[in-house]
Amino acid sequence: MVGAAGPAAVKITPLGDGRYEVATDAGRTIAYGARRGGQTWVFLRGRVYVVEGNDNQSRRARHHDETAMSAPMPATVVAINVTPGQAVKAGDVLVVLEAMKMELAVTAPQDGRIRDITCRVGELVQPDVPLVAFDEPESSNESR
Amino acid sequence: MAPFKRILIANRGEIAVRVIRACREMAIESVAVYSDADAKSLHVMLADAAVHIGAAAPAASYLSIDAIIQAAQSSGADAIHPGYGFLSENQDFAAACAANSITFIGPPADVIATMGSKVAARELARKAGAPVVPGETPREQTDAAIADAARHVGFPVLLKPSEGGGGIGMKAVRNDSELLSAIGQARREALVAFGDGTLYIERLIDSPRHVEFQILADAHGHIVHLFERECSIQRRHQKVIEETPSTAVTPALRRRMGDAAVAVARAAGYRNAGTIEFLLEGRGDQASFYFLEMNTRLQVEHPITEQVVGVDLVAAQIRVAAGEPVPWIQSELSQRGHAIELRIYAEDPARGYLPQAGLLALYREPRLPGIRIDSGFVEGDEVSVHYDPLIAKLIASGETREAARHRAIAALESFPILGIRTNVGLLLELLQHPRFVSGAIDTRFLDAEAEALRARLITEPPPEALAVAAAVSDTPSSIANDPWSALRDLRL
Repeated sequence: MVGAAGPAAVKITPLGDGRYEVATDAGRTIAYGARRGGQTWVFLRGRVYVVEGNDNQSRRARHHDETAMSAPMPATVVAINVTPGQAVKAGDVLVVLEAMKMELAVTAPQDGRIRDITCRVGELVQPDVPLVAFDEPESSNESR
Repeated sequence: MAPFKRILIANRGEIAVRVIRACREMAIESVAVYSDADAKSLHVMLADAAVHIGAAAPAASYLSIDAIIQAAQSSGADAIHPGYGFLSENQDFAAACAANSITFIGPPADVIATMGSKVAARELARKAGAPVVPGETPREQTDAAIADAARHVGFPVLLKPSEGGGGIGMKAVRNDSELLSAIGQARREALVAFGDGTLYIERLIDSPRHVEFQILADAHGHIVHLFERECSIQRRHQKVIEETPSTAVTPALRRRMGDAAVAVARAAGYRNAGTIEFLLEGRGDQASFYFLEMNTRLQVEHPITEQVVGVDLVAAQIRVAAGEPVPWIQSELSQRGHAIELRIYAEDPARGYLPQAGLLALYREPRLPGIRIDSGFVEGDEVSVHYDPLIAKLIASGETREAARHRAIAALESFPILGIRTNVGLLLELLQHPRFVSGAIDTRFLDAEAEALRARLITEPPPEALAVAAAVSDTPSSIANDPWSALRDLRL
């Protein structure tokens, strides 16, 4: 296939087994590509680029970055620092996780109040499963 | 005649593969052990036999002394190689091997105990004439007692698990206000990693280099050192790039440090391979060095020594464990050329080194002159959440430091790993950083440069990458699985 990208034309020739010849006016090189879930991974000149697709999985991944109230990866809960009803400030450490010999902190994305704790110390938790239910300051009295 | 009939390797990943290959060269049968998560791992495939030892969690498998001793007995192994991490520095494990008439390929249990205790090791080093850094382990381990000790030692301080190693659970504290939360975190990490929350408090020497000496000792009183490894490129006390020789070490300093390393090993009654870690302040003949600790096992970064000194450390470990003498004398050993090791981790440097787990959808090791890859993975393998995120070690050798550095860059640029984020982009940036190029590095370098490096790692895909991505999406799976593509290296 030929893609027009600015003034320089890029010619991509699949070589099989995930290998692609990339030819431009500037020269040619071998790149590698693989599809994984809703993402396309590309290796080009020592760099990896992850190009998001448009399906549910990639939307969920983006959503996770915004909230950060769940584990970023499968992990074990080592400490829960809050109790239901407690008021917290943005950045407060709510839950401490451990994965691959490292501690990871789950922090409050903004000021608010803890509604419920939905994990236990010692539990192995999966990504994208909420660990803490959280009310924003005014929303607890109002339905919306 | 082979020194042992059958060796069980009480480890997983690249180091298990490394030891299995050494066994094969020495005509010794190898026995792998594996957890539920590793049933199809490379080390299991390569060994002559494999024994399932338990669930994926390390405590239920690779840290289970009972399970591993039982596996050794059921498979008829006469020796156990512990690799690094897991039970490699566990005196109870070494003692259990001895009690069951299995040779532990490492030092005796009492030496592990002495050198594993930071207090005892320091005292021993001091008596052997090696300089030490000020520090103490409070007898009472309450928050208040630890805080008092930190104030007594003087800020900045390092909180370290007393039973630890490998940089796990270490916390730097620069003032009183950070102290209490750091104590809690360090204690928890120490408990998780080593089953003991005892903390040791040490003065933090600002901006030192980490320079360590490899030693090998036998049961006949012979001890040699195999020169230094510079491991100053670390993030959060975890090594990332190691090299030998060090750009800071001159022949006179090398002699002083080597003599100190051998003196410590001799005072410890050491046997087998070990590493004496030093902090180095300054460079050249006038530099000061301090004994940091001794690692009573094979190091992750042992290959750079093998490449530059021209030895096989794993084979030597096996031979001296069987009672043979150290295969070299000090005056015969020399360094030739330069070697750099890059640790390729499944982690995202752009997001605080967040560990990554998942499928290695595409993984192709480079084949280039002067490049050695030690890895426990092949394409299609799963990097598990349960274990350390090291995917591979890339070791580049050359006649000069520059030659090795250029080979390392070229090799990373032809080492595609897709499906899991890795630190390869960061390694490439580091190898080309002016301070790395000039050799003006210290242990704070990477953390200090982290922000600037992170900014360089987050880049929009160039048009060529987007064009490749579009081609991948368009590719029907029948092309990717084309059987003829498997024949591409054959001349028909």
